[in-house]
Amino acid sequence: MSGILEVKGLTKRFGGLAAVDNVSFSVREGGISGLIGPNGAGKTTIFNLITGVYKVTEGSVSFSGSEITNMEPFRIADRGITRTFQNIRLFKNLTVYENVLTACHMSAKYSIPEALLRLPRYLREEKALRAKAEDLLSIMGLTERRDVQANNLPYGLQRRLEIVRALALDPKLLLLDEPAAGMNPDETEQLMRLISEIRTRFKLTVLVIEHHMDLVMRLCESIVVLNFGQKLAEGTADEIRGDPRVVEAYLGSGGN
Amino acid sequence: MTQFLQQLTNGLSIGSVYALMAVGYSLVYSIMNFSNFAHGGVIMLGAYFGFFGLTTFKLPFAAAFALATAGTALVAIVVERVAYKPLRDRKAPFLYFIISAMGASMFLENFVIATIGPNPKPYPPIIPREPIALGDLALGRLDLIMFIVSAACLTLLVLFIDRTRLGKAIQASAYNMKASALMGINTDSVVILVFALGGFLAGVAGVLYGMKYMVYPTIGAITLKSFIAAVFGGLGSLPGAVLGSVLLGVIETLVAGYLSSQYRDLIAFVILIGVLIVRPTGIMGKAVEDKA
Amino acid sequence: MDSYILGILMLAGINLVAVLGLSLLTGFTGLFSFGHAGFMAIGAYVGAFLTVSPARDVPGLGLPLVVGILGGGAAAGIVSWLVGRITLNLKGDYFCIATLGFGEAIRLVFNNVQRFGGSRGWPLGATRNPQDIWVILLVDVVAILLVANLVRSRHGRNMIAIREEELAAQVTGINVFRYKMVSLVTSAVLAGVAGVLLGDYLTFINPKIFNLTKSTELIIIVIFGGLGSISGSVLGALLLTALPEVLRFFEIWRLVFYGAAVILIMISRPQGLLGGMELTPAGIRKILAERRARQALRAEAAREAEGGSR
Repeated sequence: MSGILEVKGLTKRFGGLAAVDNVSFSVREGGISGLIGPNGAGKTTIFNLITGVYKVTEGSVSFSGSEITNMEPFRIADRGITRTFQNIRLFKNLTVYENVLTACHMSAKYSIPEALLRLPRYLREEKALRAKAEDLLSIMGLTERRDVQANNLPYGLQRRLEIVRALALDPKLLLLDEPAAGMNPDETEQLMRLISEIRTRFKLTVLVIEHHMDLVMRLCESIVVLNFGQKLAEGTADEIRGDPRVVEAYLGSGGN
Repeated sequence: MTQFLQQLTNGLSIGSVYALMAVGYSLVYSIMNFSNFAHGGVIMLGAYFGFFGLTTFKLPFAAAFALATAGTALVAIVVERVAYKPLRDRKAPFLYFIISAMGASMFLENFVIATIGPNPKPYPPIIPREPIALGDLALGRLDLIMFIVSAACLTLLVLFIDRTRLGKAIQASAYNMKASALMGINTDSVVILVFALGGFLAGVAGVLYGMKYMVYPTIGAITLKSFIAAVFGGLGSLPGAVLGSVLLGVIETLVAGYLSSQYRDLIAFVILIGVLIVRPTGIMGKAVEDKA
Repeated sequence: MDSYILGILMLAGINLVAVLGLSLLTGFTGLFSFGHAGFMAIGAYVGAFLTVSPARDVPGLGLPLVVGILGGGAAAGIVSWLVGRITLNLKGDYFCIATLGFGEAIRLVFNNVQRFGGSRGWPLGATRNPQDIWVILLVDVVAILLVANLVRSRHGRNMIAIREEELAAQVTGINVFRYKMVSLVTSAVLAGVAGVLLGDYLTFINPKIFNLTKSTELIIIVIFGGLGSISGSVLGALLLTALPEVLRFFEIWRLVFYGAAVILIMISRPQGLLGGMELTPAGIRKILAERRARQALRAEAAREAEGGSR
């Protein structure tokens, strides 16, 4: 059965080095899936390939049945795939509210001339945008902080804001790149609940890259394990936990 | 045919001076990842230092040359300390560096205009004017010297970067500043060294340029050509900077010789447009993708 | 009004148009163009060609100023579109060098086109028309409204997003190339219009007016006024046009001072006068709200720190 996201034979070479080597997997619609592996295994590279930030050397990516390989990033976002970044890339000098409001842009259709002349369509749609941004902030618990500059936010809230920004585009698939990085166990717990909630509330599919093993094991219904750019294993949390290759490569030596 | 070879040698000599300028600029670019627009001002000062060394202080040529290049190395370091280091410390976005560089360039150029005056001054004739005859060719002695001095300096630079410990530190920092710092390399010293080297090369270029043409405050404008040459050869690549410069010098001279001297400056821009359209990474540059 | 002061106001008003355009490109979209004088030159020469009387030594078409303004702006816009096609896909550095190159190249071209006076310049008319202050004011108001309305719309916010984090902007569904182009063309059109008005004001144009120094001066005004601030650009244009006139006898040192000032601003107060802020009721409300929010955050952090240290 094909999933909402199908990755086939994905390969990315930088010069002579294959960062991603013939990786294929499928993401079930409506599920929370995990992408794990040691550092340098190629996880973020795969995100970059899916979202069009990198061009594939070989292979294909298809979403909801249509091929999206090598499409421009903004078109892929338009199709319904949004993401967060490993190194937070918020619009730093903008406030929380402005970050989200900016991301809501696709919910309006008014053209530049309509904006310049302040025509009724602009006024109408702009009002709706602002309402949507406030709404999102409220749902995600950021209303109190709406006027804080993004780079003044505490770290955990910055990560949350990045997720909100990604949600503002009404995505069908949300890619989270190490959303729990740098979080303590409490915050990680909160994040887990948040991800679960937004999956249900916004009817999304989620694909998470993570190093926090308990988050992955408890949250993800399906897990893909990468090592040295290649797929090592794919399955449920129990299957992965018991797979000797995975244990050896990753979980065995020093993992939680 | 001799006409062609004649133009070729002229082109090679001016190209070699462009190469000095472009390498100094590329060196800084490869370490700091920004375009040091103040480079032109330093070249201009080199020309003036040499000029005053020869006329006011009546030094012998070698001494004046040494004075000029030491002076420009020093100026380059001062510019770095004043205009760039504070930005580096604050991790400012790279575009701030360019603005600061522009400010430094504007300052240097107009300082000279305000103090010494805008009128061009000719270098005292050091090199005898009669050309050396090589078969049918008349090689200007000055052109020959420019070429030899440039080639010598660039060779020394390559040897320094390749063979010495300091040179390797520069290579490491160019590749990855942060990692180099973690490895114990004093990156601040590397930066100072790189600017000193760039300044030295600028001084040589300035003196040679002043000898060939004249000394005037807006010599810095010529650096635009060396930027174009560096882009042509491949931004960040030192061999590319040399290749691009020599090619630019030759093409420019041939165009001026065979078509019209009016087009001499314009051809550099045609090359720039061509490079940007066809192969923006230049002849020897590598395509780099944004790391996410 | 004293014609000297009127002259300064006219010049400030003209500079403002170009500065507003550059502010949109640099302050709001984050692209640094070092060749905007080139777009002013195109506007000036095309505008002159359209408006100069056919009876003069170097003739034009003798059309009204309005036609000149529209034509000059459009011509600059078209050229900028071509420049953008070539350069906007490249990294920041390339764009700087390319615009620097284009600005110089345009100047060189006009230097060599004898039909428009070449390097000797083009005398455009008898005397300056003091009534033109109203034209300049009108253009200023239109330009300010244009940029302000653009910035306060989803399109303007997209440009700002590009300035802040280009990669994040892309994955947030923003067509970065298209918005950069819109920003570039708009800024070039405004520069072109400013060029037409400048020619009209000076009654004489020559390529030297539109040199690298002019491009750099425009950037300096934008930075001094503050990146991402329309009121900053207005203030900057007024102050930095009036100031040198007031300190006229310092003329020779003016640019030395500018150069040093730029470095100083960059290392001590890069946001210039009003960077990221606006001197409007809404702008001031925003600053106050941000300050309140920041204080609340700090208070909360302090409370947590106290509560945590048991």
